[in-house]
Amino acid sequence: MSSYQKYIRNFSIIAHIDHGKSTLADRLLETTGCVSTRDMKEQFLDNMDLERERGITIKLQTTRLVYKAKDGNEYILNLIDTPGHVDFNYEVSRSLAACEGAVLVVDSTQGVEAQTLANVYLALDEDLEIVPVINKIDLLSARPEEVKDEIEELIGIDAQDAPLISAKNGINIEDVLEAIVQKVPAPTGDPDGKLKALIFDSYYDNYKGVVIYARIVDGSIKKGDTILMMNTKKKYEVTEVGVNAPGQVPCAELGTGMVGYICASIKQVSDARVGDTITLANDPAEEALPGYKKVQPMVYCGIYPSSDEKYENVKDALEKLQVNDAAFLFEPETSTALGFGFRCGFLGLLHMEIIVERLEREFDLGIITTSPSVIYRVVLTDGTVKMIQNPSNLPTPQEISYIEEPMVKADIMLPNEYVGSIMELCQDRRGKMTHMEYITETRVLLHYEMPLNEVIYDFFDALKSKTRGYGSLDYEFLRYEKSNVVKMDVLLNKSLVDAFSMIVHESKAAQRGRFVCEKLKEVIPMHQFEVPIQAAIGQKVIARETVRAYRKDVLAKCYGGDISRKRKLLEKQKEGKKRMRQFGTVEVPQEAFTAVLKYDDNK
Amino acid sequence: MGVFVSDHLGIYIHIPFCVQKCRYCDFTSYAGKNEEFKNRYIKALLKQINQAATGRSAASLPALEGRIVDSVFFGGGTPSLLSPDQLGLVMAELRTHFVFTEDCEITMEANPGTVTLEILRGYRELGINRLSFGVQSMEDEILKTLGRIHDSAEAVRSVKLARDAGFDNLNLDLMFGIPGQTSEQWTSTLQKITALSPEHISFYSLQVEEGTPIYNDIKFGTLEPLTDEEDRAMYHAGLEYLREQGYHQYEISNGAKPGKECRHNVKYWTLEDYAGFGVSAHGFVDGIRYCQGDDVTEYIETLERDESPVIWAHKNEPEDSASEFMFTGLRLVRGVDLTEFEERFGISFESMYKEILEELEEFRCQGFLVIEEGSTNGEGTAEGGCRRMYLTERGMDISNRIMALFV
Repeated sequence: MSSYQKYIRNFSIIAHIDHGKSTLADRLLETTGCVSTRDMKEQFLDNMDLERERGITIKLQTTRLVYKAKDGNEYILNLIDTPGHVDFNYEVSRSLAACEGAVLVVDSTQGVEAQTLANVYLALDEDLEIVPVINKIDLLSARPEEVKDEIEELIGIDAQDAPLISAKNGINIEDVLEAIVQKVPAPTGDPDGKLKALIFDSYYDNYKGVVIYARIVDGSIKKGDTILMMNTKKKYEVTEVGVNAPGQVPCAELGTGMVGYICASIKQVSDARVGDTITLANDPAEEALPGYKKVQPMVYCGIYPSSDEKYENVKDALEKLQVNDAAFLFEPETSTALGFGFRCGFLGLLHMEIIVERLEREFDLGIITTSPSVIYRVVLTDGTVKMIQNPSNLPTPQEISYIEEPMVKADIMLPNEYVGSIMELCQDRRGKMTHMEYITETRVLLHYEMPLNEVIYDFFDALKSKTRGYGSLDYEFLRYEKSNVVKMDVLLNKSLVDAFSMIVHESKAAQRGRFVCEKLKEVIPMHQFEVPIQAAIGQKVIARETVRAYRKDVLAKCYGGDISRKRKLLEKQKEGKKRMRQFGTVEVPQEAFTAVLKYDDNK
Repeated sequence: MGVFVSDHLGIYIHIPFCVQKCRYCDFTSYAGKNEEFKNRYIKALLKQINQAATGRSAASLPALEGRIVDSVFFGGGTPSLLSPDQLGLVMAELRTHFVFTEDCEITMEANPGTVTLEILRGYRELGINRLSFGVQSMEDEILKTLGRIHDSAEAVRSVKLARDAGFDNLNLDLMFGIPGQTSEQWTSTLQKITALSPEHISFYSLQVEEGTPIYNDIKFGTLEPLTDEEDRAMYHAGLEYLREQGYHQYEISNGAKPGKECRHNVKYWTLEDYAGFGVSAHGFVDGIRYCQGDDVTEYIETLERDESPVIWAHKNEPEDSASEFMFTGLRLVRGVDLTEFEERFGISFESMYKEILEELEEFRCQGFLVIEEGSTNGEGTAEGGCRRMYLTERGMDISNRIMALFV
């Protein structure tokens, strides 16, 4: 270990959504003087507006703090922020792999949550030193002693001298910095060894190309080096290295144990994948760092331009997003109902919602999304296997021997008073409980095996709603399992609208069919004729509703020559019609596609 | 009707006073204003007429002095709450600035509960030659639901008084589709009304406007609205009955004996000029739409300060006028003349609206719309080369859908 290494600390912050991770990060920046209070926006590290609004971190940010500790030495603390959602588990694990320690923020009014636990386990897998911090101690309902006990009991680490802080009001922030210096080990690694750098994040910059965030594990890297991506086998010449101080500051070299950014005129984020190892092309390391995996989308849906949107605009936007997001996939597809569009793959439902929202807000696009679907493993009678993520592509029943669907291991943490209603919910979603733990007297952890199909539908909304927001969910892929699923179609005025087709479990088909028909009846406006809405499996109709024909749409009186009022009324009517999509003779409003997915509390 | 650029002007004058506000009404009207207030209002009106005539009402509006006027309409509110003396001041101001044609149609709305023979004679002497009574229904129970201040007997009496006072051109306003109304009651109302033999009958399907008492009654379940089917059944039954009785329909909600169509009303649907005076009144002059605000005190005070009460004015672009030509013209049974459209706007109907032709064709195939060559739908004489587009009786039921294509 070279001398400078002992003054480096690389750490992450682990917390449940809303427990104050981003706020704490802000305070650390402020206290170490890296960002002046004047320049502080709330939650400095959450760059995207969307993140700030939702209070969640999607994309990693990393920052170098310089802290003069009480022992008189100046330390470089590299804060590697992690995304806070289950969809981004793999990215979290790579960020953690770049650290020696993790600050665990626990809300003193809420205690430990399922997701916190999941991330703590990820951190323990990487052998990180956990530094517990109890937040929001200024709130009346704070119960720091209980929460300390909870941490010790659940995680098995000493929490008695955990700093008691309020990130929001800047109370005891120095204690956190001291704890990091004292508890988190300095990075080890061989400065004279062959270069091994772990990519834990990358994003696309219009001027610099892909900017890689990496942790130098062994050796060093500088401008002019030719680097090799050990898994993707691609070679690039380094154009710039530097650190985030915050804001990118170029430097001569990144040495062992350091965290910084690397630019090398890379065109696509997928060429510098998170988890890959960078080495030198002319003096390569023998083996890559462990843990690389190419993340695979788990959830698919169709994204189509709405009637007044151009296909090309959507394509351009998707391409731009993909440059920045290696986990997001898309390919062209055609729907008889919606025309030309794209089948898109996401890590999970939140990932999908984020992309859709960015398309609508950042790119100002009018789009229609179809029902999300998981990937089914379809075994045909001739023994071949097909992976199907678009319900419309499901082979006919005659060709199918059996279908397997993805199962997940779902951990649900919740206050015990809601256990009954959540068990009922899980059972309704075809969940099988494997076991149940009382974490404290009032907090319960339920372990379930559930079809992913049921989780992506509206499970999370239902869980939140039934637990008044206190329930939390973590899930990961378990295996494929044989399942009795069928394709359910929706017919409007007797013709099939493929965009509404979905794959459902046979036992749920009737219920879902009724629900979809009822929803569509609510949102489809009256036409000049009756519109039958049917849900069907093959030829068999399993649910039916009818939209009555309208008989009257007339302004009887138009008083005193007030033509402008009449015009406004007609304009409003026309505006409403614009948001409609024509299917044969039936007009369907765009919200119909999301309406059939929404969780209904009254159901 | 061959002349489409008429320099004849219509005049609308709004009188915003009522004894009591009806439960369905969302027009600008005030109950319980005293004589002093009404006099202030009349004074303000006179000032506005003067301003408009001399071109001081708003920068963009032309001076109207000397224009030939062939229709005047006093609407409300309840214009019959003004005495002949008060109304006389307005008429005199109008005559000072405008030239009235010999056959100028001068209509005044009146409430059956508010007139006497003497007052009606007074109006007649001012030159008012057409009265429009808001009878609404001949069922007292229904009149109560509507919050009218008169009963059916008073309506009959008022019509008789009007005849005695010398009015030979009467309109009676009716409503149908009222919560609680049966089709028998509607038929009975029509029978009683036609028995009075007015020259003109208006029949409006009740429009429930947000914020009115009747709206709240429906919202909170005190009143059960009729279904669209019931409403339309009344409409079509009513039309048929009126036809049998010699009233031909010329607009969605209006029917008349031959030659007794309301000239002023037709101006609204044919892009002809009309000036609007008074609080909340709208006007359309030389291609400019404009209006006054709907606060009466503000209206009065603005004019007392010698300022213009016009709060909004918009010069129609050719495409604005084209779309208005279509969606207002389709209110008339005779519809619009597509040859005239081309002459007026210098572009064929088909080129202007090529994007909606397919949808129009759809409506045509379903029998809501007719496009006819060289005929005028039984109205007037057929002219060679003329093409008419008009709504069928069923088309009128859903007229908004078709009209919305043109905005």
